[in-house]
Amino acid sequence: MRRALFAITGLAASTTALVVLKAGPDTSRVAQELPASATPGTEESTTAAESTAEPAEATATAVPRPSVSRSPAPGQSTASPAAGGAESSGGATKKPSVAQPSTAAPRSTVRRVFGPVVSNEFGNVQVAISLTGSRIVAAEALELPERTAQSEQRSSRVDDRYSGTAGLVVQRQSADLDTVSGATATSESYRESLQAAIDQAR
Amino acid sequence: MRPGLRRVEHVMGTPVSLDIADDRSTTELTVLADDVFAWLREVDARFSTYRPDSEVCRFDRGELLHSEASADLRRVLERCADLWGATDGFFDAYATGGLDPSGYVKGWAVQVASDRLREAGVDNHCLNAGGDVRVRGHASGGLPWRIGVQHPWDPSAVCLVLVGTDLAVATSGVYERGPHVRDPRRGVPARGLRSVTVVGQDLGLADAYATAAVAMGVAGIGWLDRLPGYRHAVVTDDGRCLHSADLPLSAD
Repeated sequence: MRRALFAITGLAASTTALVVLKAGPDTSRVAQELPASATPGTEESTTAAESTAEPAEATATAVPRPSVSRSPAPGQSTASPAAGGAESSGGATKKPSVAQPSTAAPRSTVRRVFGPVVSNEFGNVQVAISLTGSRIVAAEALELPERTAQSEQRSSRVDDRYSGTAGLVVQRQSADLDTVSGATATSESYRESLQAAIDQAR
Repeated sequence: MRPGLRRVEHVMGTPVSLDIADDRSTTELTVLADDVFAWLREVDARFSTYRPDSEVCRFDRGELLHSEASADLRRVLERCADLWGATDGFFDAYATGGLDPSGYVKGWAVQVASDRLREAGVDNHCLNAGGDVRVRGHASGGLPWRIGVQHPWDPSAVCLVLVGTDLAVATSGVYERGPHVRDPRRGVPARGLRSVTVVGQDLGLADAYATAAVAMGVAGIGWLDRLPGYRHAVVTDDGRCLHSADLPLSAD
């Protein structure tokens, strides 16, 4: 009986001990896990909230800043090539060339500058330009080769294209290129007389 | 006032423009320009086929022996002989019957003038003799020189723009004076190519190569393609423009 009672109590004690042992780490684990997962969880969530808040602020502040600084920049950059283009290239020159004389024209008077006589195998070429300030408002060929019908035709073609108040000279505001290869006659002479007149005027 | 000097004079039957962009005193620049134009006038006096008293004409008439000729004339004759071989006879200084080396002489004279400017320390200059162009360094604006190639159908337009700091550019064509380049083999005016531009280092050779290619006609395109050290742009009679892939074209 005693042995049986010891055995039963022993079994019961061992099972409770087992249960306690089994339950102990489980509950402690749960207890440990909870604060452990809670603190890093909140830390994470707060840092995440801060970090998302920071980029949100950063992007929120960043967006308006560049867009503010950018919006005048394109305006400047599109304006400067247009102004530069009026001096150097032929493409988009009409707008500024219209805009400029309206401010310049009333103030300054027109002066005329004569280029030198440049001879070629067909005859002589001389160009005169009219300027208001430093702006060319008209170009005129005073002399062009007219010895033969062919060269007369060619000359009138060159004159039509370059001269006048809306010709290429006025549009481009310069002789544009440093030099031209292959232009051995009239147009080259025109350009050279013109370049000399421009050099003289400026 | 921009630095440098620009001068246009009528020499060798064509307008010649000199543009020096170096910032030097007016006196220095004037002396340099005087030297350039004096040299070109000297070449004209010695090598022109229109002057009966020129060295070339006297040599051609047999009044001057090869041993008596100047070093310049002997060099030019040697180069013309080399070019006759290099172009399969399409560059022919004797194509008109008598000696006429002017297809080489104009470019050579400009090249020599440019070489002398460089030796004198003038690093930035552009010399253009009736379309034969030699540039070195930069224009007065500080950018590389821009060289337009004349459009063969529109004298007021350019069809290509080349950019460079050390280039020889020669254009030969049949558009200004009609078909004046003859095919020396058949003795008829050359057809097929309306304008040939050759770009390289030596303007004398570039000029001769361009003239030879016009004389060759359409076959000249293939010949230009195989030419070492020289690049080209060609406008055909039917209005097509073909050029070397590595031609130094302007980006804008």
